[in-house]
Amino acid sequence: MTPTRTSPARRSFLASAALGGATIVGASALGALDADAAFAAPAPSLDPAVTRTSFAEGRIGAVKGSVLHVAGSRGETHRIQLTNATSVWKARPTTADAIEVGDGLYARGVEMPDGAIAADAVWVNIVNLYTTIRGIQRDRLHLSHGGHELVARTIPETAASYAGGALTSDLSRLRIGQPAQVLGAWRPADNSIDLVRVTVGH
Amino acid sequence: MACSSNALWAGETTWFCCGAAWGPCGSAGGGACGNCASAANHGAWPNASQACWDITRPDLCGEGGIPRRGCGSVMNVTHQCSGATVCITITDCGPRTRSFCGEQSCCGGSCRINRVLDLTPAAFTAIGSLDSGVLPVLITE
Amino acid sequence: MFSLIATVSPLLLAGLLGWTGLAKLRSRSLLAQAGRTALPRLVRGPRRAAHVLRASGAAEVALAAALVAAPEATAPAVGTALIGVAFLVYLGAAKAVAPESSCGCTANDTQPVTWRSFARAGFVAGGGVVALGADEPWWSTLADRPLPALALLAAGATALAYLSGGPVAFRRLRLRLLGNPLSRDARSGGPHRVPVAASVELLERSLAWETVSPLIRSGLVEHWDEDGWRFLHYTGARGSEGGDRPVSVLFAMDATAHLDRPAGQAIRVSVVDQETEEVLPVTA
Repeated sequence: MTPTRTSPARRSFLASAALGGATIVGASALGALDADAAFAAPAPSLDPAVTRTSFAEGRIGAVKGSVLHVAGSRGETHRIQLTNATSVWKARPTTADAIEVGDGLYARGVEMPDGAIAADAVWVNIVNLYTTIRGIQRDRLHLSHGGHELVARTIPETAASYAGGALTSDLSRLRIGQPAQVLGAWRPADNSIDLVRVTVGH
Repeated sequence: MACSSNALWAGETTWFCCGAAWGPCGSAGGGACGNCASAANHGAWPNASQACWDITRPDLCGEGGIPRRGCGSVMNVTHQCSGATVCITITDCGPRTRSFCGEQSCCGGSCRINRVLDLTPAAFTAIGSLDSGVLPVLITE
Repeated sequence: MFSLIATVSPLLLAGLLGWTGLAKLRSRSLLAQAGRTALPRLVRGPRRAAHVLRASGAAEVALAAALVAAPEATAPAVGTALIGVAFLVYLGAAKAVAPESSCGCTANDTQPVTWRSFARAGFVAGGGVVALGADEPWWSTLADRPLPALALLAAGATALAYLSGGPVAFRRLRLRLLGNPLSRDARSGGPHRVPVAASVELLERSLAWETVSPLIRSGLVEHWDEDGWRFLHYTGARGSEGGDRPVSVLFAMDATAHLDRPAGQAIRVSVVDQETEEVLPVTA
């Protein structure tokens, strides 16, 4: 399902490194709910890497080697340089091979002296839409989004969150008429989306 | 107002697209303020106007005190877990807080409840991953 | 077959007319509803329009009762055919003078007049004519040939549900009857795995993530499961004397853990220099 980025030998090395690493018991949930306390707490003493970055958006016009030529939606152009450290998302974590001309893209990276962006992460065709569920079938949801009909196809990765619960592959609790936040991958060929995550309230 | 450090609100942020765009986002338009753009560090606030409030209705989730911050307001948004920060301008109305009452995101033993902010892809990627969908944030101004 | 359809059609017509008629009679906002239709323009005034709607509702209910009680009598069938024709004429006029107006057909709908409104009115008109051909009451047919009669009733009711509610109401009805097709068993066949997105969600809210996120620049690069562990691979950079060095950040977590299952939330993390493959301390 997921294309292999690294060789089995390197995976095995990385796995043993991970298992030999520090164990950190993750605290989650059941924490303090007081926002004042959160503001009063010392800001994390870090210099987050992601805030020193550039952003690019648009349709992919050409793929030349490891460089994506992107036409921005407001008429600008970008060159996006992919490296072996770049994460590629297209409905799932994948490789640069999955990127096609005509796809939409958001990229985060570092601008190089020649104007190209060395990408840390690219998200291909990703959309996050506020919709209403209008129909449920075995392999798809029918959604309305801003007055338009939208078909969302389920894929093996499709997950749902109900009323703030953890993501689950159980989609059986979705109901027609529910407002739903839908995260998916747009399919330029037929304007439907691959459904990655659907979040509904109570 | 500027991107300063006075506490404004805390909660979850999600992301949306606006302005000229590809795919299903193409129909989104320039948002409530007319100038919203996915590639700019913009955001949508649930109390950008009275008409906006009537759509988002955060009060139905117990967030009745969210102050009015109209088009052009500037806020600093900090990821609660990583401390990553982005300075944004409000250019739209959102998110639909009332549809997801009680949803929470936690880290470091502290939780942020309810969707109180929507960020453009440019702003959201500055503090997190788009495929995460939702992040806990502290908002200052 | 024709006789079967003829004897069953009064029941279908009665069901439809009874429902739409009662909806009009019991509506508390009939005046407002009438205002959304083309009727005020056709009969000159919203009050008159509301009266017309109420009179129509009463006629529909009366016809429905007569169709059920006296299915072989001529009058109810003729009356039904006539009211169907009247609906068609009204819809045609409405489409002409106010194309965007609501149908008013069921008293609480706000949908504009569509081809479905015409089809339903046509069904009433045609059904009345067909019902004239009934050679025995519906209860005899139900007793003699229950299976074909019930099948026909179900098919007719389904078609009417589609015509009345449109695709959404139809899909809702289908879900209610057939169950949710996205049930656990119907999807992917395999055991109920924890989605990777659920692991990522747990990871991003963990202390492990908080500790090393300053190093991480990428999104999730790849993931794999092995021996009950789920490995999540990110890339990033760590500042050193010679400038930033590219690193891999590896997380290992229980493959079955997620936010709602607090057991097994211990997450192991390590940072590996991509060039030297040296395992670096997690915190500098």
